[in-house]
Amino acid sequence: MKTYEDLEGDGGSNIIGQVVQLGEKLRSRLDKIKHKVALMSGKGGVGKSSITANIASCLADRGYKVGILDADLNGPSIGHLLGVGNDQKLETKDNGVEPGNGHQGIKIMSMDMLLKSADTPVMWTEENDATAVWVSTMESTAIRELLADTNWGDLDYLLIDMPPGSDRIDNIRSLIPELAGAVEITIPSMLSQHIVTKSITKNNKMGVPIIGLVENMATYICPHCDKEGKLFEGEDVQKLTERKEIPYIGKIPFDTRVSQSKSGNLFYAEFKDSITGKAIAGTVDNIENFIKK
Amino acid sequence: MKFLCIPCDVKMEVQVDGIMPEEKQNLAMKFKCKKCGHSIAMLTNKFETEFVSKLGVEMGGPSDISKSPMAAVSSSLAQAKEELKSTNPEDDLIWTEEAEQRIKKVPFFVRGMAKKTVISFALEKGATTIDAKLMDEVREKVGM
Repeated sequence: MKTYEDLEGDGGSNIIGQVVQLGEKLRSRLDKIKHKVALMSGKGGVGKSSITANIASCLADRGYKVGILDADLNGPSIGHLLGVGNDQKLETKDNGVEPGNGHQGIKIMSMDMLLKSADTPVMWTEENDATAVWVSTMESTAIRELLADTNWGDLDYLLIDMPPGSDRIDNIRSLIPELAGAVEITIPSMLSQHIVTKSITKNNKMGVPIIGLVENMATYICPHCDKEGKLFEGEDVQKLTERKEIPYIGKIPFDTRVSQSKSGNLFYAEFKDSITGKAIAGTVDNIENFIKK
Repeated sequence: MKFLCIPCDVKMEVQVDGIMPEEKQNLAMKFKCKKCGHSIAMLTNKFETEFVSKLGVEMGGPSDISKSPMAAVSSSLAQAKEELKSTNPEDDLIWTEEAEQRIKKVPFFVRGMAKKTVISFALEKGATTIDAKLMDEVREKVGM
């Protein structure tokens, strides 16, 4: 009787060939992007997307071609921050979907751009018996397609706005083995630091390079007198970076204008000379220095 | 995974136009021995089906569905934008809303094959509209 090796092909589906083809498609897309950086935090609500958008703004201001992949499939906010509404018509071509053109020419791809309307949730079936396995499977597939089927073109930086938690990094790491590194973001609260520690430990174990830790909402800037005050009582975030032996790359004060820019532009583009704007620029200096090493 | 016809000692081929999987993600795929014509069916439960889905591939080889960008996402999202829906210019058949919903429930990696099966059946029958009744007839015919 013949054995597995004796039989040529796989019965007509050419599964291996298809997997190789999918890999090549992804690779051809990623090869045009110089640096890929994930921005993440174990904790939700620490201002991850806002920091991502403003780091992108700063990079674009420095003349780099920048894109953002919104990997937060169920809570996408990058489109909103970059001025690409759900009502914008999606341009599809044979070789891919055109990314959204955000403020300062920043290219974005987000689930929000693919959904029927602004209030449509991401649901992979309207049946009420969708299993967790099915949802997880579809989310992995979605991340691959958002990366591989978007016409990113030539980019200097692709920033990946990760969802809260540390689980999706496995997925990103397997799709982008050349990932330059991850920027971890926390606020000073003890709770946030506690959860972010887990994300740092996981990245260390997985060999994902950690560019450094950003302390967001580190202080509060009074819009009237520019005085700084504390927003959270907590352990010094710098001590956490020392304990985990990772660089402390940014201390970003909270500025009420971050979410209220009158022109609709990104905060950094409008207020780069503010205390918070300068802190964002300092963080970007550190990211650039890490990548240049 | 490969299937061998033991009496003939030859590889069995997947029947790309003979699949009509259950819509609840239990899957039945037919394989046929080219030499003796004997057919078998490989049955998977929904968890096994979901596992294969993760690969992002299609059984029976890539179909027109997978050639369009964001194919898996657009065809699996419950409510995606119209622009993402793939169009096949060769397909002049009208699908009723119910038939479209039913084919959408078929897992992505075998949806191309299932669609092909339904279309072949409709064309053979001279039908211009694909509705739920016709899909039931297909299932009856392919024995799934």
